[in-house]
Amino acid sequence: MAAPARIRRRSSASPVFVGLLFASPWIIGFLIFQLYPILASAYYSFTDFNLFQSPTWVGLENYRALFQDDRFFKGLFNTLYMTVIGVPLGLVLALLTALALNTPSRLQPLYRSIVYLPTIVPIVAATYLWRWILNAQYGYMNLWLGRLGLPQPLWQEDALWTKPALILIGLWMIGGTTIIYLAALQEVPRSYYEAAEIDGAGWWSKFWNITLPAISPVTLFQLVIGIIASLQYFTQAYLFAQTRLNTASGGPGDSLLMYGLYLFQNAFVFLKMGYASAMAWILFLISLAITLVVLRLSKYWVYYEGE
Amino acid sequence: MSKLETFAVTRRTLLLNGGRLGGAAMLAGLGLSGRLGVAAAADAVTLDFPFLWTGPEGDALLKVVDTFNTSQSGIKVNGVSNPDQQRQLAAMSGSKGFDISDSFGGNVGAWASKGILEPLDDRIKKDNYDLTDFVPAALDQQKYDGKLYALPIAAITTALLYNEALLTEAGIAGPPKTTSELADAIAKLTKVDSNGNITQLGLNQPSLSDFAFLFGGEWANDKGEPTPDNPGNIAALNFWVDTVVKKYGVDQIKKFQSGFGEYASPQNPFYTGKVAMTIDGAWQIQFIKEYAPQLKWGAGMLPYVDDKPELAGVSPLTTGMFFIPRNSKHSDEAWTFLKYLVDKPAMLDFTLALANLPARLSLLDDPKVTALPNVDVWLEALRSPNLKSFPNASWAAEYQNELTSSLDAVTNLKKTPEEAMAELAKKMKQIAG
Repeated sequence: MAAPARIRRRSSASPVFVGLLFASPWIIGFLIFQLYPILASAYYSFTDFNLFQSPTWVGLENYRALFQDDRFFKGLFNTLYMTVIGVPLGLVLALLTALALNTPSRLQPLYRSIVYLPTIVPIVAATYLWRWILNAQYGYMNLWLGRLGLPQPLWQEDALWTKPALILIGLWMIGGTTIIYLAALQEVPRSYYEAAEIDGAGWWSKFWNITLPAISPVTLFQLVIGIIASLQYFTQAYLFAQTRLNTASGGPGDSLLMYGLYLFQNAFVFLKMGYASAMAWILFLISLAITLVVLRLSKYWVYYEGE
Repeated sequence: MSKLETFAVTRRTLLLNGGRLGGAAMLAGLGLSGRLGVAAAADAVTLDFPFLWTGPEGDALLKVVDTFNTSQSGIKVNGVSNPDQQRQLAAMSGSKGFDISDSFGGNVGAWASKGILEPLDDRIKKDNYDLTDFVPAALDQQKYDGKLYALPIAAITTALLYNEALLTEAGIAGPPKTTSELADAIAKLTKVDSNGNITQLGLNQPSLSDFAFLFGGEWANDKGEPTPDNPGNIAALNFWVDTVVKKYGVDQIKKFQSGFGEYASPQNPFYTGKVAMTIDGAWQIQFIKEYAPQLKWGAGMLPYVDDKPELAGVSPLTTGMFFIPRNSKHSDEAWTFLKYLVDKPAMLDFTLALANLPARLSLLDDPKVTALPNVDVWLEALRSPNLKSFPNASWAAEYQNELTSSLDAVTNLKKTPEEAMAELAKKMKQIAG
């Protein structure tokens, strides 16, 4: 008796309402924890706000000051360095690794696990580990470079080498990118290769004319994700530049002062929330602009099946 | 099995406590907040007291808290070591935070100017609280804009520590008294092998902002304006550049320093003889006892520049202090506890835990303090009229940060001290207004 009544009641509710009701945990979370902070930070970026006193409206003053702040530009430069050099290098290496892993071998599952392993090491632990590997005097890296008769850079002390050191750590952790490439490689239809082989195509020709175009949507995806992640670069630089008393540091010659690190300093060390909010919005606009350019340019090199 | 046991013990403990507290028994037994139960039953006010100190100092503070809790029934202090300054700041910005905590005197200006700290002047006046026993320079650090915002518990001066064996080996009779003697000692105590690699450094690189004080340098003038280009600061930086950096090479020094072990470990370069002298605080007395008990060491007053003998006894001064945040819900009780914390018995217990210097004049000649080896050097510095500090201003954190970058450029020979400090002066004019 009770069951049909319940069904009747349920069916009387509008499907849109029911749908929204089911999505409400996310919607409420989004409104409170994402949309509101985003809008609030836009407002704070036009104020002088230190967390403790009410914000005072200063108009465009924060933005004006930023463009006269050489550490802002230093942070931007360091971050773009990591993006322009680190991201393509990571993609190329991940693709090469995926190609190698894609060749049939009995030990293939083992090799794949080994490549993926570094990705599951917590990033803080991994960075501390690398601080030791890259220790100029006692580290393994310089020990082997020395044995090979190569120069032994001061990875953590010389402003010229700190960012290459971070890129090196990044390359060690390309397991995730590799796995996605590997999946993409396995999706490329065999028949393309067979047709090319009949036409007498060699290894390079097949790679250049089939593999690369066929996985180009995946490359685009990984490129955009990589750029966005790189523009927010923080943890490894923070840990690398860390000093004994854990004061906010930009490393030797501010060479590790990433955009995100300087934003953090402004917000939580100098308590200049308005200034930090302005920085966050500029970073958002930069990310947006770069992503749009990459997407616009992608029509020249990305091929979708069925087009 | 063991999980069950733990549960049983916890539950029993809760029930026992609850039983003692009558009405709170049910709450505690049901596993509801024990704190709520305690407060409700005994009518005691619970004070939240998270502190940044850890290790032996943290343990010493917890003991002080216990003694306080058993000494009276009106206030129950909930002390917990939480060495996270970001969290501390975040808690003070909300409507609900803690009631009392600790920091360094150098933060008073930055925090008081933003309204984070509760001024203590009215309470001091009302209670007729005696401030004359506090080391005057230590108390001064707790003031901003004429008001007192915190009370000091520990005072930190520095001294020149030296490795006796290495000094004897180099034919140096005692610690250098002037900066020219210091230059001499650094030259004699620094060793370089046939490949140009440094194998022993005369003086561990000191905090150069503190080092400037030995040359009569100051980081702000009497009006409180930043003065990075003060001639004493420039002289100090030039001393370091000429005596160490240019002589032994930027890369060689960095390479040598990269092999230094952790500061608080037996691998500290001073304990292993990699550096012959180092400038540091009195806690080294305790550290050396723990990490390098075999080390034969001595301590001397910091050297001063030859042409300014009036600077004898010069030392930087920093302080450990306690404060009440503006958003404390129980500031009256927090004030009672604050007074207890900086009262003689608690201050002595706390400072002895890691050989800090107490911030009260009457404790400076306490036998327990003076019994510490070589402590007289740090104590003498604390009594000196030449105690110097980094400006306690609203913009201190930014100044410190910019200064770190500038000093980095100097020690990397990217800029001369004159250039770097002139640029910093210009920048600070913008920041400090």
